[in-house]
Amino acid sequence: MEPDVSIETSCMIRIAILPVGPVPPRILCDYYSMFLRHHTISLSAISSFYTEHQKSPFANQPWDNGSLRFKFILGGSPPSPWEDFQSNRKILSVIGVCHCPSSPDLNSIVDQFSVACKSYASALVTRCFAFCPCDSQLEDGGKKGENLRLFPPADRQTLEIHLQTMMQEIAASLLMEFEKWVLRAESAGTILKTPLDSQASLSSEEVIKAKKRRLARAQKTMGDYCLMAGSPIDANAHYSTALELARLTADFFWYAGALEGSICALLIDQMGQKDAVFEDEVRYRYISVISHYKKSFTPDNAQRVSPLSFELEATLKLARFLCRRGFTKDVVELLTSAADGAKSLIDASDRLILYVEIARLFGSLGYQRKAAFFSRQVVQLYMQQENRFAAMSAMQVLAMTTKAYRVQSRASFSNYPHSSKEIESSHADSGKMHHQSVVSLFESQWSTLQMVVLREILLAAVRAGDPLAAWSAAARLLRSYYPLITPAGQNGLASALTKSAQRLPSGTRCADPALPFVRLYSFPPYPCQMDIVKRNPAREDWWAGSAPSGPFIYTPFSKGEPNDSSKQELIWIVGEPVQVLVELANPCGFDLRVDSIYLSVHSGNFDAFPVSVDLLPNSSKVITLSGIPTSVGSVTIPGCTVHCFGVISEHLFGDVDNLLLGAAQGLVLSDPFRCCGSPRPRNVLVPNISVVPPIPLLVSHVVGGDGSIVLYEGEIRDVWISLANAGIVPVEQAHISLSGKNQDSVVSIPYETLKSALPLKPGAEVILPVTLKAWQHGPVDPDITGGKLASGSMGRQLKDGSSPTLLIHYAGPLTDSGDPPTKESVFPPGRRLVVPLHICVLQGLSFVKACLLSMEIPAHVGLNLPEPVHVETNGSKEAVGSKSKMDGLLKIDPFRGSWGLRFLELELSNPTDVVFEISVSVQLDSCEDKLDNLSAVQDATEYCCPKTRIDRDHSARVLIPLEHFKLPILDGSFFMKDFQPDGVGRNSSFSEKNAKAELNASIKNLISRIKVRWQSGRNSSGELNMKDAIQAALQTSVVDVLLPDPLTFSFRLVRNSVPQESDMPDDSGHEGSVMAYDMTPMEVIVRNNTKEIIRMSLSIACRDVAGENCFEGTKATVLWAGVLNGIAMEVPPLQESKHSFSLHFLVPGEYTLVAAAVIEEANDVLRTRAKTDSVDEPIFCRGPPFHIRVIGTA
Amino acid sequence: MIACVAVIGHQNNPLYIQSFTEADDALKLHHIVHCSLDVVEERVNNPKKSGPTLNETFLGLLYPTENYKVYGYLTNTKVKFILVTTDLDVRDADVRNFFRRFHAAYVDAVSNPFHVPGKKITSKTFAERVSNIVKSFGLSSAG
Repeated sequence: MEPDVSIETSCMIRIAILPVGPVPPRILCDYYSMFLRHHTISLSAISSFYTEHQKSPFANQPWDNGSLRFKFILGGSPPSPWEDFQSNRKILSVIGVCHCPSSPDLNSIVDQFSVACKSYASALVTRCFAFCPCDSQLEDGGKKGENLRLFPPADRQTLEIHLQTMMQEIAASLLMEFEKWVLRAESAGTILKTPLDSQASLSSEEVIKAKKRRLARAQKTMGDYCLMAGSPIDANAHYSTALELARLTADFFWYAGALEGSICALLIDQMGQKDAVFEDEVRYRYISVISHYKKSFTPDNAQRVSPLSFELEATLKLARFLCRRGFTKDVVELLTSAADGAKSLIDASDRLILYVEIARLFGSLGYQRKAAFFSRQVVQLYMQQENRFAAMSAMQVLAMTTKAYRVQSRASFSNYPHSSKEIESSHADSGKMHHQSVVSLFESQWSTLQMVVLREILLAAVRAGDPLAAWSAAARLLRSYYPLITPAGQNGLASALTKSAQRLPSGTRCADPALPFVRLYSFPPYPCQMDIVKRNPAREDWWAGSAPSGPFIYTPFSKGEPNDSSKQELIWIVGEPVQVLVELANPCGFDLRVDSIYLSVHSGNFDAFPVSVDLLPNSSKVITLSGIPTSVGSVTIPGCTVHCFGVISEHLFGDVDNLLLGAAQGLVLSDPFRCCGSPRPRNVLVPNISVVPPIPLLVSHVVGGDGSIVLYEGEIRDVWISLANAGIVPVEQAHISLSGKNQDSVVSIPYETLKSALPLKPGAEVILPVTLKAWQHGPVDPDITGGKLASGSMGRQLKDGSSPTLLIHYAGPLTDSGDPPTKESVFPPGRRLVVPLHICVLQGLSFVKACLLSMEIPAHVGLNLPEPVHVETNGSKEAVGSKSKMDGLLKIDPFRGSWGLRFLELELSNPTDVVFEISVSVQLDSCEDKLDNLSAVQDATEYCCPKTRIDRDHSARVLIPLEHFKLPILDGSFFMKDFQPDGVGRNSSFSEKNAKAELNASIKNLISRIKVRWQSGRNSSGELNMKDAIQAALQTSVVDVLLPDPLTFSFRLVRNSVPQESDMPDDSGHEGSVMAYDMTPMEVIVRNNTKEIIRMSLSIACRDVAGENCFEGTKATVLWAGVLNGIAMEVPPLQESKHSFSLHFLVPGEYTLVAAAVIEEANDVLRTRAKTDSVDEPIFCRGPPFHIRVIGTA
Repeated sequence: MIACVAVIGHQNNPLYIQSFTEADDALKLHHIVHCSLDVVEERVNNPKKSGPTLNETFLGLLYPTENYKVYGYLTNTKVKFILVTTDLDVRDADVRNFFRRFHAAYVDAVSNPFHVPGKKITSKTFAERVSNIVKSFGLSSAG
């Protein structure tokens, strides 16, 4: 059988084209292609070369529209045993092709050519074409034999015209040879035999029959020659005779042959006509041909030779004819029967050709799957041949079937160069799938067939020694069908991949990816230290509105701005490394080593850094791929370039996305990520990445270590934060703000220091001192856990929710000097640096309790009146709190006593393992101011208690005297209700509220003046915040602490004369002591502390040590002069009144004088102070006791 | 005897292929079913040539192959049913009847709310029912 047969094959003249001498393969191909154009030479064109030597046997030669058809047998072929039966099988001409530059000796060329021609006995015309001869060869060549034709060097067009002329000459020569042959055959007759004719048949045949039969065969052959000579009418005449004779002699085989020839003659004659009658005629006749070939089957020589191949060839010829005319159904039937006949073919190569032809015909019908099926039959036949070239052919045939089975290599996509664009667009509208890929997903379910095909490709490629094709097939097989392959099979494929790669040069690329599966995991945002903020140049605070302002992703106020558009923007900066997370999956049962994987970016402005990864069996891994944008523009990342199993291939994210989508819909066998235990596919939005020119980059660190700042509660410390510009652009704008919790713990921020450091050149550094104050330590801080949750969702918030954060917004110059000013609208973005202050608050001193203590030591009666407390600070020597005397101990003036002196006792414990020192200071300024604005100097006056040291795990009490807070005047401003006449009843609720507010204000005022500072070690110091505790302690008795009594009583001795005083200088030693049996003049001084005049009735009492009244009773020990009881007094507001009296002590010892008064017509202020509401109740005022020491006469 | 039945989705994806032969020729039957899609496609694309049976779901004999005859049936949703039989003389009516019952079984199978359209049919009930239909096809043609 022969490939590519059609009905017209019968009229084609076979010309063998042979290379003579060495011809480089590419040049030979070029020469061949030049020949192939001249397959049809019209008769009209050859008339100039044609000379009619004798009367032509081709009487009806159509010189005006006929033509000769050539079939070029490139490289030649051995003679066919069926040459006699079908003359078109003969090689009727031989053309040698010689490339002169590579074979300089023309003589040897001529010799070689004549040797080569010897094997073509049937050749009637031989020519040797020598191309590109040099001048000497041209000269020389003229003398050589008539067969050598030299083609002078010329341009292509000239050469082709030259060649055409030569071909016409050959055609004319052939035509003349045919004439000769036909004339000779007519006269002499030839013996024509086929392998089909049995050797014995001739002897047993009748002579007449044999002769007739010979005649028929000769006629048939002449018809063949006529046909080849382009004269169908002559051919038809000969065929008719042959048919008649063959029918008579029952020479069915030759009958069928003649019939075939006559159909061909008919076809040539009717060329170009489309006629249903004609088509039916051809079909009818060919069916007859086929049946006659069938009839010619003789069982006796069936083992050796069979006309079956001619029958099948005829079937194919008819099928091809009908296929061109579009009779699909008939063609399918013919092809099916041809395929059935294939089994009876003896010769494997015949079967091969048959299957090839069937596949081709099915393919041209549009039956891709059928074509693929028969191609696979071809492949199996090739593979049976077990040699490398057959395997290569098998591989090529299989490669053609891959499209029908949807397993084609990506390299075979005709539009592969464009596919990257498609991928880009598919990324733009990710989620949508291309129709193509959907179909391929569906068709991929024919896995049984697909795997077989891929396995065959792999086998063929291995046998053919094409490692790249083998690698590609194994990769496709492994990647697409791993769930259907046993682990052992997977291992085998892996080793096939590795072995193939060993035979490939390193760095070989393959269009088909193998493992692993790579999908995009996420684009991590910049770390908060490098956060990029869009710049709004219209505003002073250009960063405003660009960063999320709260924990809410959705804010109802940001309407009109589509959410995703902002999400899909990603800005990368030239020269700054970026990261992309991808997830790799190895669903197979072997360890997978990815030699290198990096982002593949086609835009050329990105340098990707390769990494290598090891993947365990059935595992997936998220890895970080990084790279550096190198120039401004946009970046698209279609996939990753992976170097695995020794070959580089590109893994596109889009492919995997489609695969996963298919897996989700159940179309694909398995989701490689899911079977590796990776969670459900995340919907990764691929942002539009734009690369912008460099912008500054600030790097911060805390001077002295970036660890947590450990502070005890209330500790105040300065922290130095260093900011360095690590970018290549100066920082021109910067602004600090606070965020996060406990913002009030940042006491001071050096705005000015930062401002003055601008512009911060690249590499420059500025150090900012920040003062921190530790907040109260909570036992369980719920904010920490809450903060962690928030940080998880926000992604860029602080780890520790309770620490405050410094936000530094900074930016480079507004316009880039390098950029043309046309791009003014695009401002380079700014950045935000988040400096978390990792403050760790330790529990410091803990407060146990506070209570108010009172200490009552009676005063001594002396010569002088005790100074009022509020003026004591005025530098007087008795002043308790004056600084001059302040050496650590509280001193109490014995002549004043401490009546009404209150102490605030704070109990503090130290649970830590360091020593604390406590110092309490009380500010006194406000008290002074209220009195009389004595001097500004006193504003800063502080009263300091001595330091108290608290050892670790100990507790201590600190006493704070509170007497300095007494107000000098008891007036209505304290009790607001006094401002309203008769306000007691009506507006009591309102005024009470007011009163309470006023009270609270003054308590706060009081408390704020008490500061408890501590120090621990050398550099830890702070302040205890115990306002609440103090307030709680003071709440009940604050009135007593703050307010003076309405009346102040004091006693003093009256020395009458100055000489008397000078007489008793020794008295100064015990000043205030009184002699017994002596009349002692005394004064009681009553001071009115209110702003109203007070009328009262004063009485004075004296008691001895035992507490007995000394004035009255039977055992009265003190005599007196003057009035002691019921003294009516009137004291003007803020004035003092004196009342003099004298005492005569009979017994030496200690006595106590007490003054008391009943206030008459008390007003509301007094009543309130006395905490009584009833108008009738008398208000009784009692002064503090005064001690008086009476010395006996010694 | 029926060698194989198949349900092919509208995207030419196999939804169900079941062979009823003893021999291990599943691959071969797969190929036959796969190749039959060519004919179905051709019939669908060139409805003129398939004659007057334009609205007919039954596609008739798709093609005869070596030992088998392949019949086709196309539903309105472009789902194809393929029948591969080894009987060389089969009455059209039998095949029509078979396909009608097979179609009913298919409709019931895909009406299952748990069935995902486009996925392979894995229902055991469907398989059982199909094998019953296949068995009865053999009986009716024999009888």
